[in-house]
Amino acid sequence: MTNTIKKVPLLVPLVLVMAILAVSTDTFLSTGNLENVLVAAAILAIPGIAMTFCLAMGEFDLSIGSTVSLAGVACCSALIAGQPLAFSLVVALGVGALIGLANGVVITKLGVTPFIATLATMVIVRGASLAYTDGHDQIVSSPGLKYLVAGRPLGVPMPIVLAVVLAALGWWTINRTRFGRWVCAIGSNREAARMSGLPVDRIRIAVYVLVGLSGGLWGLLISSQLQKGNGQLGLGFELDAITVVVLGGTALLGGRASIVGTVLGALMIETIRNGLNLLNTPPAYQRISVGLLLIAALALLALRRREKRGTKPNRVPARVQESAA
Amino acid sequence: MSTQTMTEKPSEKAVTGRSSKVSLGRLWDTWGVTALLVLLLLCTPAIAPGFLEIENLQSVLRESAYVGIVAVGMTFAIASGAFDLSVGGQLALTSVVTLMAFNGGGTAAAVAAAITTGLLCGLVNAGLITRLRVPPFVATLGSLFVFRGIAYLLTQDGPQTLPYEHVDSPFAKIGSLNVAGLPVPFLIMVAVFAAGWVLMRRTAIGRRTLAYGSSPSAARFCGISDTRIRLFVFVLVGLTVGIAALTYITRVWTADGSAQDGFELKVIAAVVLGGTALKGGKGTLIGTFSAVFLVSVLNEVLVSQGVESAYQRIVLGCVLIVALTIDGLRTRFASPGSFRRALRPTS
Repeated sequence: MTNTIKKVPLLVPLVLVMAILAVSTDTFLSTGNLENVLVAAAILAIPGIAMTFCLAMGEFDLSIGSTVSLAGVACCSALIAGQPLAFSLVVALGVGALIGLANGVVITKLGVTPFIATLATMVIVRGASLAYTDGHDQIVSSPGLKYLVAGRPLGVPMPIVLAVVLAALGWWTINRTRFGRWVCAIGSNREAARMSGLPVDRIRIAVYVLVGLSGGLWGLLISSQLQKGNGQLGLGFELDAITVVVLGGTALLGGRASIVGTVLGALMIETIRNGLNLLNTPPAYQRISVGLLLIAALALLALRRREKRGTKPNRVPARVQESAA
Repeated sequence: MSTQTMTEKPSEKAVTGRSSKVSLGRLWDTWGVTALLVLLLLCTPAIAPGFLEIENLQSVLRESAYVGIVAVGMTFAIASGAFDLSVGGQLALTSVVTLMAFNGGGTAAAVAAAITTGLLCGLVNAGLITRLRVPPFVATLGSLFVFRGIAYLLTQDGPQTLPYEHVDSPFAKIGSLNVAGLPVPFLIMVAVFAAGWVLMRRTAIGRRTLAYGSSPSAARFCGISDTRIRLFVFVLVGLTVGIAALTYITRVWTADGSAQDGFELKVIAAVVLGGTALKGGKGTLIGTFSAVFLVSVLNEVLVSQGVESAYQRIVLGCVLIVALTIDGLRTRFASPGSFRRALRPTS
């Protein structure tokens, strides 16, 4: 039990927050509300899972928010043009994958730092989305697209199904496959990974394509929720995606990844947002609380790291004292 | 492998005469963006005839001032190997507090409030990083949310504004006055850049910041204190935000929590475009200065050509990638032995 808590430090605060909300509001524990929280968390966890790979590699992708917008626009305009649903979905995912590929190539082959490269694609893709829509909403009413968010295979909301499948896949990839090992190896020391013969550039490109794909899927989910696509969709989403991963305990400098943590991070953020809504607090508090949460999580991590380091030299005397007492 | 490079190194140096190559690279580091800016300015009369009119130039200078001032602080931060992602939140919060102070106590109170709020924001960041040991990236990402949130809270009943009857107050004049044809915000910006340059090149703390940026552990072994560097850098960023807020708020006259969304990326882009290395250890204020104007002149030219704002973004993003690609390729080919490494397929 203590081992689980140590591995997933977010578990305790999450349960705590849920308990507080369960006591202080009478609506939090209603099935309808819990389902809302879970669906919102699922939608946020999907890009979080891909972003976990990116951060495990020690890099960021800032362009995911713009990808959401362009993918949503691509899908909606394909539907408006009378294309079949399957084609529209593929177009949206393809747009995401292409943006990821562009990021990966610019970063690995042209040697631009990830932060700046994805910052630039973020601006470019957002511009493309705004230019294509000319500032208008692309409104669709497609029951097929709606199914992505509102559908219930076996009575479970579709986003939750997607998130669970993807989280399982992500967990398996990062913990049980060669690719996952490679990603973490690059994160802990890229030069060493290169020296030991890993196809570093190809792995990095693959991860960016993965993040792009998840951005495309995120865009589809958001467009499915709103039944529209426009150039303003997904503003600031990149910070959400990164926050979720960092909250989950994936090391910021790479080398370690926790998919379970990411999923819990998404749950935590959406629980707090939901709780603050239920308590009728102004939206400003939501921002503040997410910010404080982020700082607190990292401060706790740092504190524990320091404690560990501090106790190391005199660990033996401490044990001796304990046994003596 | 290692012995091979050991033996090859000197010969390569002798054959290619690396010293001249490095100095050319150095020249590009400091003056490359400035050269691009001059090139762009030389082209503008042909593309946009109205651009060189005095009024237009003044407005460009005025618009660039607040980005430029914060970019000075950010150059220090990035040179020390850290980002400050919270500058947008700081600017929003400082602007709101400044307007509240002005409406309560006049010009002196407003100026004092701007500087104090900026410094306090910087102190909060520095405290999070040095006391709580949160990595700068996350600490400032978190405080970005917090500062913006507080600014939203303070403006729940509508944005703070500068009432029109105060148009002749010394405070409002900061944004509108020209001295010898030069807008005051621009003069403030030049002063901040000059002070920043002296601080970076002529003082111990500036040198230490650069040293810390190029290798924190080496700097630590030399007796440079992390705490002091972090404190210096983040308080400096706060101070520049305080000064920038004065020129910003007297320009737009209104502020709420959403003021200047995405400001941090604008500032970081300018600093990096100017040639300051993201890895730290290398900072060039001349480059930052030119990069700020490169972006705003390019913007202005695009506007005058009737290019829509959506396409402006695309162009700016491409400029950023091209500039950084040149830099990336240059550093890749400039270090010894890297030529072969770059040509060799990595997979």
